[in-house]
Amino acid sequence: MPGPRTGDGIRPGTGPDAGTPLAPAPTAAGQHGTGTGRPRVLLAPVTVTPSKPLTPSHLKGLLWTDVMYRATAHLADVTLRYSHTTYHPTEQTLGFWEFLDRNHGDLDPTALDELDLGALYVAFRAAAERVPAAALRPYADAVEHGWTHPAATRILEIWTAQYAELGLHDPGLLSHQPPALSTAEMIARLDALGMCLDQRALGGPVHLDLTRHGMPLRTLISADGRPNYLACALRELLALAAEHDEVVLLYDSQLDPDYQRLARVLTALGPTVSRVPIGRVPIDGAIRSAREGGWRDQHAGALLAACRSGHGPAAVRLGLRLYFIAVLGPGQAESYRPDLLHQCLGRAERLLAAARTEALPPLGDRLARHRRSQLHVDPYRLTSSLLGRHRRAPATDLMTGVFV
Amino acid sequence: MTTAESLPGTTAPTPQTVPTAPTAPTAESGPAAPSGTSGASGASGASDAVQRALRASLADRLRRARPELAERHDLASADGLAAAGAEAIAPTTGEDGDGALVAVVVRDLDLAVWARQTCAFALDLDTAAAAAWRRSFTRTVFLAGNPEHLMTRFPPARTAPDLSAAWTAPGPPAATAALRRLLKLLQADAPVPTGPDTPFEVPGAPEGPRPPGAPAVPGHRPPVRRDLYLATAGCTLSDALVHLNHVLVEAVMDGLVAPGDHLVLRRIPRLGGPPDRFAAVRAVAEAHLPGRLRAAAALSGPQPSGPE
Repeated sequence: MPGPRTGDGIRPGTGPDAGTPLAPAPTAAGQHGTGTGRPRVLLAPVTVTPSKPLTPSHLKGLLWTDVMYRATAHLADVTLRYSHTTYHPTEQTLGFWEFLDRNHGDLDPTALDELDLGALYVAFRAAAERVPAAALRPYADAVEHGWTHPAATRILEIWTAQYAELGLHDPGLLSHQPPALSTAEMIARLDALGMCLDQRALGGPVHLDLTRHGMPLRTLISADGRPNYLACALRELLALAAEHDEVVLLYDSQLDPDYQRLARVLTALGPTVSRVPIGRVPIDGAIRSAREGGWRDQHAGALLAACRSGHGPAAVRLGLRLYFIAVLGPGQAESYRPDLLHQCLGRAERLLAAARTEALPPLGDRLARHRRSQLHVDPYRLTSSLLGRHRRAPATDLMTGVFV
Repeated sequence: MTTAESLPGTTAPTPQTVPTAPTAPTAESGPAAPSGTSGASGASGASDAVQRALRASLADRLRRARPELAERHDLASADGLAAAGAEAIAPTTGEDGDGALVAVVVRDLDLAVWARQTCAFALDLDTAAAAAWRRSFTRTVFLAGNPEHLMTRFPPARTAPDLSAAWTAPGPPAATAALRRLLKLLQADAPVPTGPDTPFEVPGAPEGPRPPGAPAVPGHRPPVRRDLYLATAGCTLSDALVHLNHVLVEAVMDGLVAPGDHLVLRRIPRLGGPPDRFAAVRAVAEAHLPGRLRAAAALSGPQPSGPE
């Protein structure tokens, strides 16, 4: 399953030749489809834990997903599944909530911003306490009944506003979107696929068992009943995958082993599964986890504030996409460079000003060239096609239909 | 400085070369050296006698595994026993050591079914493999896995007919390194339920010619009936596997368990009293009484046969 290249050293103007049409995926498109006759594509990106500001690495993943979503929507019935509800049961989320309530129970999250809450999250991770499973159970139960901690809701409200300014499709950040399967149902489905090693009766964990395929055993639920993010993903995707012709998994490339497993499981349900690893964005040469903090002015709020002084909203949206997709590329070799970002904003202004409105082939036909062998559009191919030195000015419908 | 941690039978059952699961039964790994003078001032002579007998069982285990060490150390003394134990363990602690290791892949667990298969596995070993494994104190690592999924890549030496477990032949750790990377250490934290006595028959024909390459032990004799005891107080399923495994495979090697024998798995909270009544005892550190030992599992002497 080829994903985007994870090459490095990608610079503006060196993108692939967007003029070469690629054969779309005839089998998937031709054999399936909905009543509309269009194939069904599921985009399933890994979510960002709502406990901190969005960093450049997060923005890259979100913008990448958004361009894929909006471009592919011209060619297929696309579902973007991005449910925070699904991933709340993970230890890092429930543990943070329990930590907050135990240590800062009188805080009013609505009076805090994402940096304040992020600092508390950093403190939680630094404390590295291992609280008993029983302490997290009330939180896990509440999540199953639709509850979200006010601190997470506060972050998601802030993100919702930032999504709007970034021009990102809101997949329902503040909605209760539970996974279709309960944990028990998920285990039963995996078991039916012959991919589960359930040792709860022995006082042990539940494992994802792909050893038949030579993939190491992977714990899904610990012996004391804590699910990890992979267990959460399976509760959601085991149900959704069979309803789609193609499933695209977008994730941080550091999670590749787990996503290889996930792809193996979902493929058994019928759809074509594409893995799209997206490299992080190093800061000053170092790839850091958001849980370490140290965001300074390199988070979405500050970045947007800097962009909007001197550039219009459309240029900000396009410029961010040019930088985080075409300039940085799928790899993670290039550190974040505010100077390059601002060059992209200027480039975006010029592209928008020059955009053509003359009659062109339908947008869907033009976008189809930017696929590889799958149904979904490759954001890197598409976005970097805007940057060639001798490119013609882009069409207005492409700008409004995908980028701004 | 030698410590009792390295004493066979008082060490963590998975050697340090093998990743240890958080729940591996390490509670027994921290005793001080069993001391002949460690009895409390009010300890009865009977208690001292029990402790002496348990130490003797450890010494016996060490003597059978490493007879050359028995000649260099005074196994009758606690210090000598501890020193011999440390020396016995030392050469095989590295991954590159020449010790022999068996990996048991466990999918699910019925103790009596598993115990029966364990006997069958040990009975199938040839003399050289059994001897090498014994020199490593029958080191065994229990892995979580589904034997059905592993047959092709890792053909096992034995697989339980219901595919609940599979055994690798004794071999250097490197021989099972790939399998151990693919799987995880078995975590079986559930307490052993104290259920009814469970009889089972050791597989194999009790009489008949020995096939070529078959083990020199057990000898040929009429089947006997023995009780297989497991002390269940504070015992998880992981612990039970470790204790029963050592008792059973070493009993096979010693000829105490032979094809056609009738064993009865008896789960009782504690194996108190003098251990002399047992034909084999697994002595481990007493978790809350440093320097003292307790019987974790045992095999009785031959019992009169009768209806079960």
